[in-house]
Amino acid sequence: AMEKMSRVTTALGGSALTGRTMHCHLDAPANAISVCRDAAQVVVAGRSIFKIYAIEDEQFVEKLNLRVGRKPSLNLSCADVVWHQMDENLLATAATNGVVVTWNLGRPSRNKQDQLFTEHKRTVNKVCFHPTEAHVLLSGSQDGFMKCFDLRRKDSVSTFSGEAPEAGRADGEVLWVCHRPPDVFPESTKKVGLEVSTPPSRPPRLGRRQACDSSPQSLQGLPPWLLSLLEPLTFSPHGPPPAGQSESVRDVQFSIRDYFTFASTFENGNVQLWDIRRPDRCERMFTAHNGPVFCCDWHPEDRGWLATGGRDKMVKVWDMTTHRAKEVHCVQTIASVARVKWRPECRHHLATCSMMVDHNIYVWDVRRPFVPAAMFEEHRDVTTGIAWRHPHDPSFLLSGSKDSTLCQHLFRDASQPVERANPEGLCYGLFGDLAFAAKESLVATESGRKPYAGDRRHPIFFKRKLDPAEPFVGLASSALSVFEIEPGSGSMSWFVDTAERYALAGRPLAELCDHNAKVARELGRNQVAQTWTMLRIIYCSPGLASATSLNHSVGKGSSCGVPLMNSFNLKDMAPGLGSETRLDRSKGDTRSDTVLLDSSATLITNEDNEETEGSDVPADYLLGDVEGEEEELYLLDPEHAHPEEPEYVLPQEAFPLRHEIVDTPPGPEHLQDKADSPHVSGSEADAASLAPVDSSFSLISIPHALYDTRLPPDFFSALVCDMLRFYAEQGDVQMAVSVLIVLGERVRKDIDEQTQEHWYASYIDLLQRFCLWNVSNQVVKLSTSRAISCLNQASTTLHVNCSHCKRPMSSRGWVCDRCHRCASMCAVCHHVVKGLFVWCQGCSHGGHLQHIMKWLEGSSHCPAGCGHLCEYS
Amino acid sequence: MVSVINTVDTSHEDMIHDAQMDYYGTRLATCSSDRSVKIFDVRNGGQILIADLRGHEGPVWQVAWAHPMYGNILASCSYDRKVIIWKEENGTWEKTHEHTGHDSSVNSVCWAPHDYGLILACGSSDGAISLLTYTGEGQWEVKKISNAHAIGCNAVSWAPAVVPGSLIDQPSGQKPNYIKKFASGGCDNLIKLWKEEEDGQWKEEQKLEAHSDWVRDVAWAPSIGLPTSTIASCSQDGRVFIWTCDDTSGNTWSPKLLHKFSDVVWHVSWSITANILAVSGGDNKVTLWKESVDGQWVCISDVNKGQGSVSASITEGQQNEQ
Repeated sequence: AMEKMSRVTTALGGSALTGRTMHCHLDAPANAISVCRDAAQVVVAGRSIFKIYAIEDEQFVEKLNLRVGRKPSLNLSCADVVWHQMDENLLATAATNGVVVTWNLGRPSRNKQDQLFTEHKRTVNKVCFHPTEAHVLLSGSQDGFMKCFDLRRKDSVSTFSGEAPEAGRADGEVLWVCHRPPDVFPESTKKVGLEVSTPPSRPPRLGRRQACDSSPQSLQGLPPWLLSLLEPLTFSPHGPPPAGQSESVRDVQFSIRDYFTFASTFENGNVQLWDIRRPDRCERMFTAHNGPVFCCDWHPEDRGWLATGGRDKMVKVWDMTTHRAKEVHCVQTIASVARVKWRPECRHHLATCSMMVDHNIYVWDVRRPFVPAAMFEEHRDVTTGIAWRHPHDPSFLLSGSKDSTLCQHLFRDASQPVERANPEGLCYGLFGDLAFAAKESLVATESGRKPYAGDRRHPIFFKRKLDPAEPFVGLASSALSVFEIEPGSGSMSWFVDTAERYALAGRPLAELCDHNAKVARELGRNQVAQTWTMLRIIYCSPGLASATSLNHSVGKGSSCGVPLMNSFNLKDMAPGLGSETRLDRSKGDTRSDTVLLDSSATLITNEDNEETEGSDVPADYLLGDVEGEEEELYLLDPEHAHPEEPEYVLPQEAFPLRHEIVDTPPGPEHLQDKADSPHVSGSEADAASLAPVDSSFSLISIPHALYDTRLPPDFFSALVCDMLRFYAEQGDVQMAVSVLIVLGERVRKDIDEQTQEHWYASYIDLLQRFCLWNVSNQVVKLSTSRAISCLNQASTTLHVNCSHCKRPMSSRGWVCDRCHRCASMCAVCHHVVKGLFVWCQGCSHGGHLQHIMKWLEGSSHCPAGCGHLCEYS
Repeated sequence: MVSVINTVDTSHEDMIHDAQMDYYGTRLATCSSDRSVKIFDVRNGGQILIADLRGHEGPVWQVAWAHPMYGNILASCSYDRKVIIWKEENGTWEKTHEHTGHDSSVNSVCWAPHDYGLILACGSSDGAISLLTYTGEGQWEVKKISNAHAIGCNAVSWAPAVVPGSLIDQPSGQKPNYIKKFASGGCDNLIKLWKEEEDGQWKEEQKLEAHSDWVRDVAWAPSIGLPTSTIASCSQDGRVFIWTCDDTSGNTWSPKLLHKFSDVVWHVSWSITANILAVSGGDNKVTLWKESVDGQWVCISDVNKGQGSVSASITEGQQNEQ
């Protein structure tokens, strides 16, 4: 991957920073790295490595090995290293044995070691130079102390204890105190966080290293506040508290802006803020993390912003300028945070690496705390040190790792999880509704993020605006909406209604077909309605029915009753004959329709009739979706419907005779209406007179053919099967299964078992998704496929308690073996309940459904008299 | 054509990456960059927060509901390389299993058809796909397909359960011998079909090549109706393909370009009867597609046709309203 990575040149006020993503192998794992202020060299320190590398355009070049001498000293086992940002020759290391060492690269000898401070008792975790004072060094150790060194002296200038100033400790019992009271300092510098970084309050800066080789006693140019600390510093009689009492110090960092301030972090989760002049007590302390705080970093520009990282996997940004430290941001990373470094020139970015598990380096936008803005994945083991190469260049990051490599990362080569992230969620719901979540406009953040309360018609989204200049800008949020798709394009309400209303068994075939056709029509599913009607034509003998109805109709003097089923069929089918446009239908049409239904099945009441009459049906009859199968069927008719099969046998389910026509025949105005309708009048006339059919209406040939030369249903079975397959293919497996059940043996043999099983299984699954348990059960029961019907015999476990002794019933029947009583007694009538038994789950008393319902109308107490307030849902 | 019936205030603090309705269409699970997974009751246009699941340590990319016959179970996958399986017990949702077998972000999770038992497929940026099978008593068995997709796997989707031969031909008392298959899409621009061999190992069965950029989503259509297999795929290249396989051996797949969009296409989702495909793209727009009688895919809900409120999209007009 390295090859394709780009080179980057950054102009930094004249001098340019160039380079590419690259790495070099070290001899040993690194523990820490630090960059020289010239941005051209980096120092790598570890247990057994201490080297300086030059950062060249194409590679790292080893420049200096600082581990000299025959036998390696523990003093060289480095936990941390820091390169002075003012002095290119000055470095400091923290040793795992507690020694703080300074190095002077200007020494002529091979050994560059300068000072050795052996004051800490345990590993020194961190060393930090003062950003503007050449000789001031701060260390933080596992022993719980922080020490401030003046590099011209042999001993530390002051010691700071990480021990919490406990409430119980009296003021006089401070373990050690600074001899000189701090009030000698200029008034303006006393308060931490104030304008102390600028003159005049600022002490004069030390000359460059001029004191370095001189004796520690030469104190020329030392800041007065340091001088004040140096001489009379005495400790309380007991000396410093024994090591181990204080919390281990994990990090110390001088504030970049506030001259006297430094922050320290501790293993117990605390962060302390110190004034360098006041070792007696910290200025402020607060609990920043749950568990150890491994690192902190002051924001290079925002005074008072301190980032801290902890084992709790969080990076927190604190505003230290307020009275109490205020958490302003919190980034949640994947693993414990070992290092944190603000990214130069990018106000909200910081880089982190982890102590374990995760080997990657992440750059976060603190305003987007959940997704890293960038990620560097080069290391194969834990990353131990990270450093931005130049304090004003945001694109070069250096890192050292336990995998013994030193890397230079270019920001533009980083992988960007944000860009990979899917900004949308989409899901088709069961009811044909769509859930859609999409990224909201980022602009909304500025205007207070007032969510737009979308109404039904207007989705709440905005077009996503990406500012290419700042790809990771700020907060991202999404809006989630559920959309409804209107019937016809995907809503599933028709499915539920149809499933609930279809009749699948228990009545003659013709009735079932008519009923189902009616259901379909009422749901606006005309193609399906036509199919049912056709099935009736195909499989039911119309002869008897027609004749009977005809008699009735004629007897009542109605001309429109005459066409009966056939005219009805005609009417519904006529559109299917190829007309692609909407057919205008008169009231009269509808009328004959309903009359027929009344006469053929008693399912429709007068009211229904009125409704049908009143409602303007045409809207329902959109014919665009008429499918090929029906057309084929019609076309077949004229060719085949002729006397080739003279001996027609009536099907078994002959249409039963009807006693009477419920509805009154239409009045003259209907006739009038009908006359206005050119489509129907002809056919009706035909039907009424039983005259030969106009050849243009091929369908009309059916009734006649059926009378004398009806085709056997077998003839159509291939077509019917095709049609079922078509429905199934369209996703309407409901139709396929319903027809399969209604027609039973008539078509079953023509469709292979596996397909049938598949349809059944699909339909049952759908029914169950819609919680249509009863329908599902009925379908299972009615299915002729063994594999399906045995679904109902799958094990069902019912756990029941005896209503008398309240103990669990054994599996044997309904007699409790403990109290030897029948458990299924009705509490109302005291008879054994056979069939539907309903009982309260609270007191386990119950009885016949009707009895209990009736009882509950009068009382909410248990009919058994147990005093329980029964609940039935 | 399309109207908003419910705007869910998820209170997620960052981008939402996935939203999934459960089997009964009554609950909606969402997941976000803010590391949380939330479950809402959306019955009757409501939006009651049922659960706020915390446990991931990075953005949560996807969620998937298991079939309710196994209880209320939700799987989620995250940037933190983990897959968490959540379960509702006595009204409270809790973590029941955590799978940590991936070396990089886990991008997609999908439950197998319920007929096979509880099996979860997980696709990861480490290029591997892992299959978790519940073996009872809180134990999950893991199978891993390494190097399934170079650079990473973005999506997984199971084929519907298909049994060779009729159900009644199966030996009684035994589980039918299902042919388990799933599709995956990845950063190698490929869609791959995987099949479980008789020895229980997963083998690459097919490689479907048509996309010219990362495949972002694959969706195997539910097999309501005919046993024809259909897969929809979408990609970073803006294209959506419909792949169909008519032959029973399942080896000949032919792609049909549904549409070429001008932006990344993130998601494809089938309606439950598999007759409508919803497509969402980088322009925050959802379009609905249906196959016409002549086999062409037509957009039945689209901005340009001016049918009502523009297929759940964002229009400039509405933006101006703001």
